Amino acid sequence: MSKPTANWEKVGDKFYRRIELYRNIFDTDLELENYNVVGAPYSGAVAIYRDEDKIHAYRGTQAAKSSIDVYSCAGTLIRRINWDKGSIKGLGWSEDEKLLVVTEDGTVRCYYDLQGDFVPFTLGHGADEHGVQSCRFWSSGFVALLGNNHLISVSRYDEPRPKLLAIPPPDPVVSWAIIPPAYSLSRSVEVILAIGTTLYVVDATDAEDRDFTAGPFRHISVSPRGEFLAFYTDDGKVWVVSGDWSEKLSEYNSRAKTVPKDMQWCGSNAVVLAWEDEVHLIGPRSVATKFYYDAWVHLLPDVDGLRLLTNDVCEYLQKVPDETEEVFRLGSETPAANLLEASNLLDQKSPKADDLIQLIRPSLAGAVDTCVKAAGHEYNIHWQKSLLKAASFGKSVLDLYSSDDFVDMCETLRVLNAVRFYEIGLPLSYNQFKRLTPEKLISRLTNRHEYLLALRISEYLHLPTDKIHVHWAQQKVRVSTADEASICNLIFRKLHGKPGVSFEEIARTAYDEGRVRLATELLNYEPRAGKQVPLLLGMKEDTIALDKAIESGDTDLIYHVLLHLRKKLPLASFFRVINSRPVATALVESSAWYQDKEVLKDLYYQDDRRLDGSNLLLSEALSATDLPASLDKLKLASKYLQDSKDYAFHRQQLDDAAKLLRMQETFEKDLNSNPGTSSANPSSSVSPGNSSFIGLSANETVFHLLRQSHTKRAQKIISEFRIPEKTAAWLKLRALVSARHWTELEELSKQKKSPIGWEPFFNEVLAAGNTRVASAFVPKCTGLTVAERVEMWMKCGLVVKAGEEAFRAKDRGLLEEVRGRASGSAAVEVERLVGLLPVGRR
Amino acid sequence: MAPITPFNTSEISEKARRDLLLLLEGVRGKKNLVLEKALAGPLNLLVKFSTLQEYGVDRPFFLENDNVDSSQRNIVFLVRGEKAKTVLAVADQIKRLRRNGSIEHEFSILWVPRRTMVSDQLLEEAGVLGEASVSEWPLFFVPLADDVLSLELDDSVTDLYLRKDPTSIYLSAKALMLHQQRHGLFPRIIGKGENAKRLADLLIRMRTEVTAGESSNINGASFLGLTPSSTIDSLIILDREVDFPTVLLTQLTYEGLIDEVFSISANQTEVDSSVVGGAAPQPGQTGSASTTMKRKVMIDPKDSLYGTLGDANFAIVGNLLNKAARRLQSSTERNQLASKTTAELRDFVNKLPGYQAEQASLKLHTSLAEEIIKHTRTDIFTRSLEVQQNIMSGADPTTQHESITELISRDIPLPTILRLLCLECTTNAGMRPKDLEAFKRAIIQAYGPQHLLTLSSLEKMALLHPRGGSGLGATPAAKPGSVTNYTPLRRSLRLWDDEVNESEPNDISYVFSGYAPLSIRIVQSIIQKQTLANLIKPSSHPQAAAQANPLAQGLRIFDDATKYIRGATFDETQTGEEKAVKARSMLNGSHNDAAKTVIVFFLGGVTRAEISALRFIGRKLKEVGGEGRGSKIMICSTGVVKGGSLVGSAIEAERFG
Repeated sequence: MSKPTANWEKVGDKFYRRIELYRNIFDTDLELENYNVVGAPYSGAVAIYRDEDKIHAYRGTQAAKSSIDVYSCAGTLIRRINWDKGSIKGLGWSEDEKLLVVTEDGTVRCYYDLQGDFVPFTLGHGADEHGVQSCRFWSSGFVALLGNNHLISVSRYDEPRPKLLAIPPPDPVVSWAIIPPAYSLSRSVEVILAIGTTLYVVDATDAEDRDFTAGPFRHISVSPRGEFLAFYTDDGKVWVVSGDWSEKLSEYNSRAKTVPKDMQWCGSNAVVLAWEDEVHLIGPRSVATKFYYDAWVHLLPDVDGLRLLTNDVCEYLQKVPDETEEVFRLGSETPAANLLEASNLLDQKSPKADDLIQLIRPSLAGAVDTCVKAAGHEYNIHWQKSLLKAASFGKSVLDLYSSDDFVDMCETLRVLNAVRFYEIGLPLSYNQFKRLTPEKLISRLTNRHEYLLALRISEYLHLPTDKIHVHWAQQKVRVSTADEASICNLIFRKLHGKPGVSFEEIARTAYDEGRVRLATELLNYEPRAGKQVPLLLGMKEDTIALDKAIESGDTDLIYHVLLHLRKKLPLASFFRVINSRPVATALVESSAWYQDKEVLKDLYYQDDRRLDGSNLLLSEALSATDLPASLDKLKLASKYLQDSKDYAFHRQQLDDAAKLLRMQETFEKDLNSNPGTSSANPSSSVSPGNSSFIGLSANETVFHLLRQSHTKRAQKIISEFRIPEKTAAWLKLRALVSARHWTELEELSKQKKSPIGWEPFFNEVLAAGNTRVASAFVPKCTGLTVAERVEMWMKCGLVVKAGEEAFRAKDRGLLEEVRGRASGSAAVEVERLVGLLPVGRR
Repeated sequence: MAPITPFNTSEISEKARRDLLLLLEGVRGKKNLVLEKALAGPLNLLVKFSTLQEYGVDRPFFLENDNVDSSQRNIVFLVRGEKAKTVLAVADQIKRLRRNGSIEHEFSILWVPRRTMVSDQLLEEAGVLGEASVSEWPLFFVPLADDVLSLELDDSVTDLYLRKDPTSIYLSAKALMLHQQRHGLFPRIIGKGENAKRLADLLIRMRTEVTAGESSNINGASFLGLTPSSTIDSLIILDREVDFPTVLLTQLTYEGLIDEVFSISANQTEVDSSVVGGAAPQPGQTGSASTTMKRKVMIDPKDSLYGTLGDANFAIVGNLLNKAARRLQSSTERNQLASKTTAELRDFVNKLPGYQAEQASLKLHTSLAEEIIKHTRTDIFTRSLEVQQNIMSGADPTTQHESITELISRDIPLPTILRLLCLECTTNAGMRPKDLEAFKRAIIQAYGPQHLLTLSSLEKMALLHPRGGSGLGATPAAKPGSVTNYTPLRRSLRLWDDEVNESEPNDISYVFSGYAPLSIRIVQSIIQKQTLANLIKPSSHPQAAAQANPLAQGLRIFDDATKYIRGATFDETQTGEEKAVKARSMLNGSHNDAAKTVIVFFLGGVTRAEISALRFIGRKLKEVGGEGRGSKIMICSTGVVKGGSLVGSAIEAERFG
């Protein structure tokens, strides 16, 4: 076994290591130098396509056919996407391994599952006119640079919204890079453009010149977390600047005559320059080391390191993790190193093992932790084992130690080793795995159709397996040539009772593949009614979709189906569909009430809902702007009900309404054309209804007419509409009081009878403040008790009268009460009355 | 591990606030906020306007006013996406801004509480979907007080009973489901009413659907989420339809009367500034349009003074205010200060801000109470109250007709009249067709022919209908169980209490000075059986009172009573795997039966008087040795209603001319 430090390289005081992941990657015929190579984050797939700008040897028509090839890191071809859609100007990956292809005309294709299915969208903002020059990608979006230096950013792929960023100067861009939104200060994507000798920083709102003169900068690279920026100047120097632009951290002179092909960050602590087969690794404080390869080398940056890819080998370059360094560095005297040594000695049955353990006893717990972590960072299974063995040994010596980390690490390593296997080709580092999360790893595996492994890992890590099953079933539906019944059977047998399995998704796939019957059968197994709806609509099973939507209770879904049906079906059959479904009808009604009254009219007509239809017309009459239109609508509304006896009352009211309106119209004409009569009383000008009677109710009309002393007209309405006597009396009273026709009120008090009694007269007049007239009604309130009448007199301020009232009733107590409240001459008078009252028996 | 208390209000508002601010943060730079009027109240409850400003909100606009301008590049819409009307309004405004705006806008739409397919479809048809970034603000329950959660769906009454649109049922189910997923299944769902039944069915349905889709969303609690909760006792769902009369009555609690007189929305009421004094406008208002003489006053349930006043019958509010004033005065008395030691003085000074706040609150409530007294002294108020009390106490309703006719002739506000008529109809299973027709004619003559529509709507809502026979064709013939029969209920549930004690209430009847709300009696028949049984049938031996009243066994009262009440009755138990149940009770600590929460959900709205009555029951349950074993009542609803808004939803606003 080679030493773990064999591939270490010292750069300054730090160690870097090149781990050989896989060998014999590509066919030796493949001229990698003529290809553009991009790798998905977290050691994902690698996409290559031939760089059109470079000439290449003619190998017959077959080879000349352009394609984008997706490989695993180990060089297994996952998918070949034939390409004839135009010149590719941007190729990149998202965090969840979606492949994005941007063509010159601004069309973006998002290949979401590594299998050649894509969702297209366009950039817009003049991309088709000016052409896309290049693109830069981050974990969930990208920025495209157009021919006119406009920048378009897309920040999500599920609902892409291409946004134009601020517009930089139009001079040629030498090089550019982006700071992902998660790491920029403004929390939105920022673009660094090298134009001329200076740099511009562009975000959504402005393009700022950073005032540099040392340019032109040939390469710009942003560290994975945006904390550092690296620039390659024209004179062969590499500058490293802090992410907030506040200070220049280091400068390295490469002394190279030619500009390197690529410059990338290796994790966040070193910059890598690549020429054709030469690589410079520049660590902090400008110390550097150089590597040479046999063939053209491509750099694939990742969060915590860098993959180097040649025809022959795939290597992972990273800074040696601290724990690993602690354990393995030559001559390391750390407790962890001693623990490893002790474990080895134990294997050799050497007694020294115990001595060593006793030596590091105080820091043993830390040493165990370090060993566990170092094991995680190790790629070599042999060293993983020995580190874990050391940890286990250390653990056993300790009295109290939580083994959770140890157990977790063992599980994780098992998973990592499984996916690193060359047939799978996912050489995840421990940190990458932690950031990627196991769930995403599972979805990467299912996208590669590694169902068995995905299932095993899911079960091993206690993760849900529904997605894997669904994916498997979808794939089955796509590729299986068996007959539909047996596929359905197979799928149902395998997936039945598994929680979370969405049969809808499988059915959709089947439908998309043109297997309608299979889709219908599968859909029947879907327990969630709501989920079935969209697909059912797509399958033109409209009524079933409507029923399912109603079943789900979600009004949004029902509306959705209804909107769909409304557009598709002729009105009559649309009504037939909703007719038997009251919820649907109610929803159609309530939404149509605000938007589309014509539909409603038809609906009521077809359903023979006369009252509703007539009401609708009435409401239209109400909103009509001029009177004739209103009258017409009223007439229609009334006609609507004419055949039915049940609505006689309703119809009568409608006719009355029309009649009233017409009468009001004539009043208005008469009274306004003849102002002399209407302004008989000056106070009538206060009346709000003076200018218009139209729209008032019958009572209000009477009220206003009476107020303006048009008694005859008022009488006409009263008789015409058979306003009850009592109501009419009230109206008269209120109208007279509000117009302050006191004399007429007094006149009324002389009448013998009132249909509403006299008390209201007293109250209303008193409330209007006229005590004199109010008092006129007191004697008429014969139905009340003496005490009440006394109170009424008192309210009018007529104490003497109150006294007399009490006197007449021979009520001494009441009289004395009155006396108590009297003053001045009234008091004397009341006193006299008290005296007159015979002293009754007590 | 401390047990998770279900329905923790501060947690709910905190989450809603965080969600919104996060969404606002997502829109970079300054922005104009366009919100639906109905959302202004809840928003104000959750977030102060100054906080919104910190998150870049420049100016708020109302969607209904259609006046958002181009002063900012970013425009954020905050609207409910359930109704096509609002969606189209948003689309129109985007189009308008795009047409005449000089700058290119960035539009974001935050749908409340969820993004709907219909909204997407409509926006797409309008051609604006591609331009707006769409997200959702999952605001379901808004806490109005520590024990009151409201969905604040202002349209729910119109939707449910007039238009028969079940959107609010679905949203309620969603909201409750979210809580079930967090706190476990409601072990029992019991309730009354057709819509309530539908809600219960939906909940059960959603449960199976969530189980089916469970593992696709991995959150730690999910495997526990769908086992019966150990902290929740049951969910009681009441359909508003079951008990319309309680809404139609004039509420007589202080809070209820504030609502009746000034109307409260989202704990805020607008009062004429001459009443409460034109103090500086309250800081932190959203959408301050208070340049008029109206002043917005926060009715704060956390205010200690208001806490004692709000649920009390208005008759004793004067006394309470008096007492509070005297207490305040005595503690701030100047001559007392002289005799204090320095330590006492320091203590006093520390309390000063508290006193001042209390003083201000006292002043406010005194003037509010005075204003309400003015209102309650009017002839119209007393007359209509008299009619109400007579109807509720079971007098022959025809004796009240004269009063009602007179009130119509006096042209008092229409809602008051309609409340009285509907009250009669709903408590007496309709009205004699002849009388009904006469009233209809009177209303149309007095208030205008447009109210033909109002009356039709009321009939559709089953608030107004002729007795016995078929309605006017549109309403199907009355089936058995489609109307509530009050005559047996008055006796069997003791709905009318002649010996009501308002100052020291001993029964919920205090909230209406006599009438005990039917809805609350139903709740009592489930959670406070013993008390109710003793109330209905006081046992002959005083010693035996403590023992079980035979009526209190099982659900006897509930079963007996619900026979006479309209709508479906249901009682579902939700059980889960035994293992999971055990795991949950281990996690949350064993509770046995004590201190569980009972959730009472009012579908279609709850009145403030009912809230007060439930709080009264809640206090009784908490009492040591009470039969509730210290359980808590949580009131949830689609919104807060009152009689005016119930009949108001039917009233046709347009008129001829």
